Amino acid sequence: MAETTAPSAMSPAEEEAVYYHEAALNSAWTGARLAAGGMSFLFGCFVFAFFYLKALNSHGLWYTSASRPQLWLGTLIMVLVVASALLQWAVLQMIKRGNKSAWMAGAVVALVLGLAAVVCSILQLMYIPFWPGASGFASVFVGFTPVFLTFAFCAMVWLEILIMRARPIPQISFVEQPPTFAEAFAVQRFQAALSSFTFVWNYLAAVALVAWILFYFVH
Amino acid sequence: MAIETQPERAQGAGGGLPAEGGGGRPWWARPAIHTAIVGAVVGYLLGHALGDYLTGATGAANQYPNVPLSDSEDWPIVLGYTLAIIGWLAGLGVFNDILRQMVGRPISGNGRAHQNSGLARFFRYELDHKVVGIQYLVGMIIYFCTAGLLAMAMRTELLSPVNHVFTSQVYIEIVGEHGTMMMMLMTSVIVGPFGNYLVPIMIGSKRVAFPRIEALSFWLTPMAFLILLSGFMLGGFPFGWTGYAPLSIQATVGADSYAVAFGLMGVSVALAGFNIIVTVICYRAPGMRWGRLPMFVWSMVSTSFLFVLAAPVLFAGMYMLIMDRTAQTAFFEDSLGGSSYLYENVFWFFGHPEVYILALPGFGIVSELIPVFCRKPLFAYKVAGAGMIGVSLLSFFVWQHHLFDSGINPDMRPLFMVTTELISIPTGFIYLVALGTFWKAKIRFRVPMLFCIAMYFNFLIGGISGVYLSDVPADTTEHGSFFVMAHFHYTIMGGLIFAFMAGIYYWLPKMTGIKLNEKLGLWHFWIMFIAFNSTFLPLFAVGDAGQPRRVFEYATNLQGLNDWVSISSYFLGFSILLFVINFVWSTVIVREREVGNPWQSRGLEWQVSSPPPADNFDQIPVVLSSPYDYGVKDAQPVADLHPPAGVVTAAIMSADAARVEA
Repeated sequence: MAETTAPSAMSPAEEEAVYYHEAALNSAWTGARLAAGGMSFLFGCFVFAFFYLKALNSHGLWYTSASRPQLWLGTLIMVLVVASALLQWAVLQMIKRGNKSAWMAGAVVALVLGLAAVVCSILQLMYIPFWPGASGFASVFVGFTPVFLTFAFCAMVWLEILIMRARPIPQISFVEQPPTFAEAFAVQRFQAALSSFTFVWNYLAAVALVAWILFYFVH
Repeated sequence: MAIETQPERAQGAGGGLPAEGGGGRPWWARPAIHTAIVGAVVGYLLGHALGDYLTGATGAANQYPNVPLSDSEDWPIVLGYTLAIIGWLAGLGVFNDILRQMVGRPISGNGRAHQNSGLARFFRYELDHKVVGIQYLVGMIIYFCTAGLLAMAMRTELLSPVNHVFTSQVYIEIVGEHGTMMMMLMTSVIVGPFGNYLVPIMIGSKRVAFPRIEALSFWLTPMAFLILLSGFMLGGFPFGWTGYAPLSIQATVGADSYAVAFGLMGVSVALAGFNIIVTVICYRAPGMRWGRLPMFVWSMVSTSFLFVLAAPVLFAGMYMLIMDRTAQTAFFEDSLGGSSYLYENVFWFFGHPEVYILALPGFGIVSELIPVFCRKPLFAYKVAGAGMIGVSLLSFFVWQHHLFDSGINPDMRPLFMVTTELISIPTGFIYLVALGTFWKAKIRFRVPMLFCIAMYFNFLIGGISGVYLSDVPADTTEHGSFFVMAHFHYTIMGGLIFAFMAGIYYWLPKMTGIKLNEKLGLWHFWIMFIAFNSTFLPLFAVGDAGQPRRVFEYATNLQGLNDWVSISSYFLGFSILLFVINFVWSTVIVREREVGNPWQSRGLEWQVSSPPPADNFDQIPVVLSSPYDYGVKDAQPVADLHPPAGVVTAAIMSADAARVEA
């Protein structure tokens, strides 16, 4: 990310603008990490429920052979999410090097992959081959999936907004510092938001990976 | 989106402009509370119709296996509530900027026409943190008074062990509504009004990090309140505020109001905490080092971390409950592979930090106020901060003491008994700090200070009875009795609400420029203090004698004590009425201006005019010294409010250098 350079002699208004601009950049970084902390406790509840019910195995109904979600569909969802997140991370490195068009192309693909994962999750829920209360495992699976797909969908809305925000920013602004504070601030805020998004989306990809291991291999 | 930073144009005075300025549209077409109500009603009707359609179309209307009381109305009710919430937010204009950005249009807020003007701003999705603080203050008073009236209805019923005002069903509905309303809505009673209003000013900032998230956190609370109240129309919920399964998955549709409202409030507090933490970390003025942070801000940060980390657990618990009731999962249904103990664990993993979520802001207020009225520096500042952080950390390791008598592995009891007893140590730090500050002080016994002292007194009784209850044999004896009820009322009402009152009397002149009437305040304090103790102290004896909670009949030999308690509760209610009269009288009718610094406080918030200017400060201040240097010879001013050019730049440069080095 481009560094903010504060001229030696600024008016109080300019000083203030720079000060709060720096604060906003830091907020994006801090907010993403904090959000990941909060989401960890949310998803952690499902992990706790998974192992708690597995350990209890009430009435021998933790897991039955009938309550088995489609492995191919679950794997596809996980692959789509992880691929989208990794692609987004890779193209983030490109825009940091000033290649906006490569990021735009990659981000659109990441968006399509992410949305495809959401659609697949909905389809999986619609055609799930067991009743939600068939077992403890079935309950955790049916409970977790809508929460995850909601977060994934919100992340994709965020990515779409970032793509729309990037469109009017000239390519050159990512290569060299724009001439005015306003333009420089716009680019830096976009980059801060993009970095935060990439962090959160990669975090969600890690959650998808853990969920895939739990639901299809650890049960 | 959740962690989108706000472009400059979206941030006006005090954190921002209205999300939807409305342009040249007539008032009725601008997003505000009336459009929100329309949105909520339309959303509810749509959701209910959708639920009816789904249950009919999919055959999901079958009753929950093995749970005969479950009924098929859960889907329409839950979907109705969900779409009502979405409609409410859409009516307020919460989604407008997101939709604008999605189609590549700039977000609104360019026009400053509606900024900080008139009463109407309090009924809009306003982004100024000071407006949000006032919205919270009024909202919290309404919620508290509603729940308080329910408490008085309960005490009326308990006037006689044999003659009844309500049926047992109605009584338990009232108990549930009172408990849930107090525990879920009062979570924000200090963070909401004082945290949102004062924290940015106390740290020397002109704005908050995420004004939209802050405003959203408030506007979720009226819906949570209304949804919870609507439970009365649906038959209520017969399980108190804890919502234990399997009762909660067997209960009729009133339980849906409990689960949706409580879950929604979980979202609200998580958002509020998120904004406060990031604001304090990123928006402190130059010179506002962690070691100079006001103790109230420390308490807000500690509480906010609990919000962000514990509230998602509450949300997950309520979500699982709703899924069991609607999608017919079996999280909490033992016979289908679930476990009701799972609910107890999830609920109390949130529920015990919740207790400290309620206590910590109270500690913060009293620790902030006593140096002002003792005219002495706060004794052992670092110990007070450590106490708050210690309480926050330990609060995640004690939840199983709520399960001592409901299924915990007996071998685990000593561990949680010890962790529970350990938490009294950081709590004791707060008392140590108070004792050191009081020592040889010439105390000014003004109304806020009286409430602070009362808070220490009440919380001491609540805390000591809590240590007693953490002991397994004592807990086994007193479990489920009025003794426990008296204990937590001493900590929550005696601690939190007394501190809240101290905060109102102290900071209302700052927030409104109007001071509450001191004489009425004194009457309010003494009646509330005496009536509170007269109400809850005998309940220890009542509980010890074996009267169980949530039961509307009791042994006839306990009628004398119960009558004493009920009559005292009316006096307690009267004291709150006196406060409301004082509040309305002083702020609406008399409106005597108090523009100065009535308490001679060194707090940064008192260095600006009352109420603060639109931008909080003319310039970014530079903090020079501790806010607690009362009576210190040659103490520097707390801040330079008009620093020379270049000072702030130097601070930015040094922060940049530190970041690069790190």
